[in-house]
Amino acid sequence: MPYRLEIALNPDLFGAEGEGIRRKAFHYFGLKLSQVRAINVLTIDADLTADQLKTIQTEIFTNPVTQTSSFDPIPIEFDWIIWVGFRPGVRDNPGSTAVEAVEDILGIKFKPGEAIYTSKRYCLKGKGLRPEDADKIAGELLANNIIQRWKIYSQRNWDNKTGTGIIIPRVRLDHKPVVEPIPIDTDETLKSISDERNLALNPNDIPTIRAYFLDSKVQAERALVGLAEPTDVELEYISQARSDHCNHNTFQGLFHYKDLSTGHAEVVDNIFETCIKEPTLSLKEKKPWVVSVLWDNAGAGQFDGDHYYVITGETHNSPSNMEAYGGAITGIVGVYRDPMGTGKGAKLIMGGYGYCVGQRDYAGDLTPHLHPRRLLDGVIEGVRDGGNKSGIPTTFGQLLFHPGYMGKALVFVTAVGIMPAQINGEPSEQKKTSPGNLVIMCGGRVGKDGIHGVTAASEVFSESTPAGHVQIGDPYTQKKMHDFILEARDKGLIRFITDNGGGGLSSSVGESALFSNGCEIELEKVPLKYEGLDQWEIWISESQERMTVAIRPEDLDRFLALSKKHAVESTVIGKYTDSGKLHITYNGKTCAYINLDLLSSGFPQWEFDAHWQEPDKRGLFEPVIREPGDYEALLTDILSRPNICSREWIVRQYDHEVQGTSVIKPLVGAGRDVNSDASVIRPVLDSEKGLAFAQALLPAYSAIDAYHMTACTIDEAVRRLIAVGADLDMIGGVDNFCWPNVQYHPQDNPDGKFKAAQLVRSCRALRDICLAYGIPLLSGKDSMYIDGYLAGRYGETHKVSALETIQFSTISVINDINKCITMDSKIPGDLVYILGETGNELGGSEYYEHYGYVGLNVPQVHSRQFATLYRALGSAIEKEVVASAHGIYRGGLGLHLALVAMGGGLGMKVDLALVPSNSVNRIDTILFSESAGRFIVTIDPENRKTFEDIFKGLPCSCIGVITDKSGDLVISDSKNRGKSKTIISIPVQDLKAAWKKPFGELI
Amino acid sequence: MKRVNALVLAGYGLNCDNETAYALELTGASAIKVHINSLIDGSVGLDDFQIMVFVGGFSWGDDHGAGVIQAVRLKTNLGDKMLEFVDRGNLVLGICNGFQTLVNLGLLPGFRGDYKTRSIALTFNDCGNFRDDWVMLKVNPSSPCVFTKGFDTMELPVRHGEGKFYSDKAVIEQLFKNNQVVVRYAMSKGRLANNRFPFNPNGSINDIAGICDPTGRIFGLMPHPEAFNHWTNHPDWTRDKEKIKRRGGAVKPGTTAGIRMFQNGVDFICGGY
Repeated sequence: MPYRLEIALNPDLFGAEGEGIRRKAFHYFGLKLSQVRAINVLTIDADLTADQLKTIQTEIFTNPVTQTSSFDPIPIEFDWIIWVGFRPGVRDNPGSTAVEAVEDILGIKFKPGEAIYTSKRYCLKGKGLRPEDADKIAGELLANNIIQRWKIYSQRNWDNKTGTGIIIPRVRLDHKPVVEPIPIDTDETLKSISDERNLALNPNDIPTIRAYFLDSKVQAERALVGLAEPTDVELEYISQARSDHCNHNTFQGLFHYKDLSTGHAEVVDNIFETCIKEPTLSLKEKKPWVVSVLWDNAGAGQFDGDHYYVITGETHNSPSNMEAYGGAITGIVGVYRDPMGTGKGAKLIMGGYGYCVGQRDYAGDLTPHLHPRRLLDGVIEGVRDGGNKSGIPTTFGQLLFHPGYMGKALVFVTAVGIMPAQINGEPSEQKKTSPGNLVIMCGGRVGKDGIHGVTAASEVFSESTPAGHVQIGDPYTQKKMHDFILEARDKGLIRFITDNGGGGLSSSVGESALFSNGCEIELEKVPLKYEGLDQWEIWISESQERMTVAIRPEDLDRFLALSKKHAVESTVIGKYTDSGKLHITYNGKTCAYINLDLLSSGFPQWEFDAHWQEPDKRGLFEPVIREPGDYEALLTDILSRPNICSREWIVRQYDHEVQGTSVIKPLVGAGRDVNSDASVIRPVLDSEKGLAFAQALLPAYSAIDAYHMTACTIDEAVRRLIAVGADLDMIGGVDNFCWPNVQYHPQDNPDGKFKAAQLVRSCRALRDICLAYGIPLLSGKDSMYIDGYLAGRYGETHKVSALETIQFSTISVINDINKCITMDSKIPGDLVYILGETGNELGGSEYYEHYGYVGLNVPQVHSRQFATLYRALGSAIEKEVVASAHGIYRGGLGLHLALVAMGGGLGMKVDLALVPSNSVNRIDTILFSESAGRFIVTIDPENRKTFEDIFKGLPCSCIGVITDKSGDLVISDSKNRGKSKTIISIPVQDLKAAWKKPFGELI
Repeated sequence: MKRVNALVLAGYGLNCDNETAYALELTGASAIKVHINSLIDGSVGLDDFQIMVFVGGFSWGDDHGAGVIQAVRLKTNLGDKMLEFVDRGNLVLGICNGFQTLVNLGLLPGFRGDYKTRSIALTFNDCGNFRDDWVMLKVNPSSPCVFTKGFDTMELPVRHGEGKFYSDKAVIEQLFKNNQVVVRYAMSKGRLANNRFPFNPNGSINDIAGICDPTGRIFGLMPHPEAFNHWTNHPDWTRDKEKIKRRGGAVKPGTTAGIRMFQNGVDFICGGY
């Protein structure tokens, strides 16, 4: 018999959760509530005695100091009650831990089907609150209909005896698993089945797939195991492996590139090979610290003689757009499995995030599934819980608003790990499966969740995207698995390890079987969350928190004992062979039998037309603006722009210091509230070496040319590391492409050819700049369909495509963390220097965007000159003659001078006439041009000679001095080019107030 | 000097075990990370240890109140063994999730030798969110707490969503009367925060950040001493370094406040007090 336990805070206690909802209801919808109280509801679907219920109520679920609880509805005043619970099959993390605790204290085991479910009941009070207001709060604030359901009660229909009743979201499938043969008599038949089953097979692949199954030799072999036509399991396997998400068909495609201005045409074959793989391999030759790239779940670099660091970056866009919290937590927890599955397994040491969303206060006619504000809130919280509960410091992140991301918001997640260089005398970065090794699945169980997630990510987002691919990550289960995996690794038990992410077992087993050249899987052994899954569903389900591990049979007992100690489920599901076949059975009957080499042979390359037109020929031009007079108001307004202002509220809710490794935090300075250029950690506690990490995003420049967008993004990410003390020669990179669809279609994607050309150009910039700076690409990913269809005001829909976006992450070993520096000005009297030249490069700038312009003169990267300058700055920091260094990034010199002053909480006096520049004559251009390759540096006047000697012959000029506490930022121009000699004179604290204002209320 | 053995709990979502063990090792102690299950199944016993640390993290995901399930599990499976450990004159330290566990076990406040009653809650921060920030702590010089001897103030990071110290008036009064209130949130110069956010980051009653039992040998606090194990952990270190350089001083300072706190515990066991 099921029971419902309600738990509430004592009435005299402040309820932070309810108060948060009350505030949001006002800020989001203007609804004034006087009180919101939240009640936690546990629905216990298990046979327990009255005594047992009493025990768990008092010992586990009720805090005697702060809470009251009851098996009857708790009477709390309300005008409206909203109950919110999960839909069946949605991951209920607190429900699972409740079962663990109950089993432990009562010394019992729950029977199959028994469970505990959590839900919430909110009691709302507010004068004049209408039914539609309650609907709005339920549907747009408290619940998301994709994963949750809700009930609303007025005072009239609430019965205080029955309350919400007992609602049990148990999955009941009542379905007998069945393997279906798929007819392939014609291409059209297979195509229509692919559409019906949401297989997302590329039409071009269909003839190859049919040819394989119609081959007489293949048919003869299949007959021996009792198979004729392909099974659904087999086609699902092929579909997963061939999806753009797994196979990167776009990057490996054939681009017919044409420059429309010159008429020059060329064929660009496989941009992955030419722009990513070749440059990285050539750099690996020259840089012995590059350990492992281009094949594993993450790339590896040398940290010191005994350790390698590993890094990778991912996006989790489509799911986050459907369910922001669930999508984001699944994303961060998922990317953390990549280092765990790199080499023989790495420990997680650092994470990063990047969010690209529509305007937070968007009030226009388009209606995305989630309003950008709600989406952003959910994403922030998802990464918070995913990172914090994993015990991994989240040390760096970015947030960018642009209307293009209304169609599909982007969620970037980055993971860094570390592993010993050797394990039991074997290189840790190497791993392979061998015939006879056991295939083990560790971690969570398999349910219907995430089915077709990979193929959905390879499609444009629409209202018909199946909601089933939305999941809720479980960092707790994964943290236990992480600790287990590391101990198993150190005992030498792991021969091969990879994670179950996109494509589930299909991908992880399929890819690991390539090493031994075969496997036999007994699908009925896979532990399920509930019965009734079809075989193909078990095979491709993306249920989270699972790793696939290969071990030697003789190690099985030790492996399982260790697994038990860590309370992690591990199951042998098959063995590796050298048969050349992926062989899957279910209760002894074969349901898949495929040549493993099928996927590497014979599939046609995707093809794209790519047409480039120079920006001026596309009608872009420099806007005609006369010089402003009021630079003080202008700078203050730029500081308050959503893409510039403080985001302290996000940083503070992310644990960035766990593991005790923090060296340079995300927020620095006298007030500990200004963003650092990069973060630095000391991952090996008894070593003075560090890892510096930073990221950059500059999609605005794509409106002019994605080549320069990419070049500037890489340059910024590199400069960020240089600014804290990294050595250019030690920097590695991670590229994360997010691109709108590049396949031309006359009606659906009329500018597809241009977007394809932008992709080719972006990749060329990636190649050029990485080669020039010597940056191997340790890892990278692409997400190719950042478009969405949004409903408008009149029932019409609009396709909204985001700007071509690349997030570039940089990482570098720091030889001596004690020499790292931060961006904040340090001491009055210090000299202020500008390194690098300011050019007339306002195209795509924040300044032009402030006025609504794009412009033409996009910033360009002069990599050779820049590299010389970066090495010089590296040497000055190494000699400890630099007090602070800060790159000049988006917003330009004026904004970044203000940030340096705000960081130090000190005044600053500078003369713009002294700024090294290249034929720039206007004050606004000097202040807001976004020329790359520049820094603001402050030094002790005592070090002047040493410092200037280092920069002899380079663009480096002392432009002023740091002044007193509570001083002003004073910007003047001794050339008198502005309307007055003193251009700006504002108290630094006023600048900071303006910078903090937009999001200052958020916590 | 005898070797001090410290047990550092691990597993089930705890996540500060590594740096806590490192901090203890810096003091000369031997620190061993022990999985909760190894303690429960008896493969590791408490007898070999003099210090037991309940570390930070999210045990059981913090799903039913932070530290609640960890306390239930230990109480159910270890029961009196922990009390016997305390009775032998040993030390127990609970940090963040560990502090939450100690109050849920009833090891704190431990009035009149009662180490089983739950009378204190560490509940959701008033600010409504998890928060990572450094705080200034004012140390009670009259407290019997072993770990804070010789401190007047100290700066440490907090990182929690459920750190609001709450209890009824009588318990709070008793805590002050017994000098069991060890550390309180303060302003930069050591003046009490008086519930001003963000100095008091969570709305704790009377700015209470950490308490001990009447013997001073059981200590729980929300801030993380183990995360201040190197001078570069401090948020101001690049600023301080520059100031020291200008005065011509040696740049690297000595032991951090966090390590000194662990050192106090280890010295106590060695008979330093």
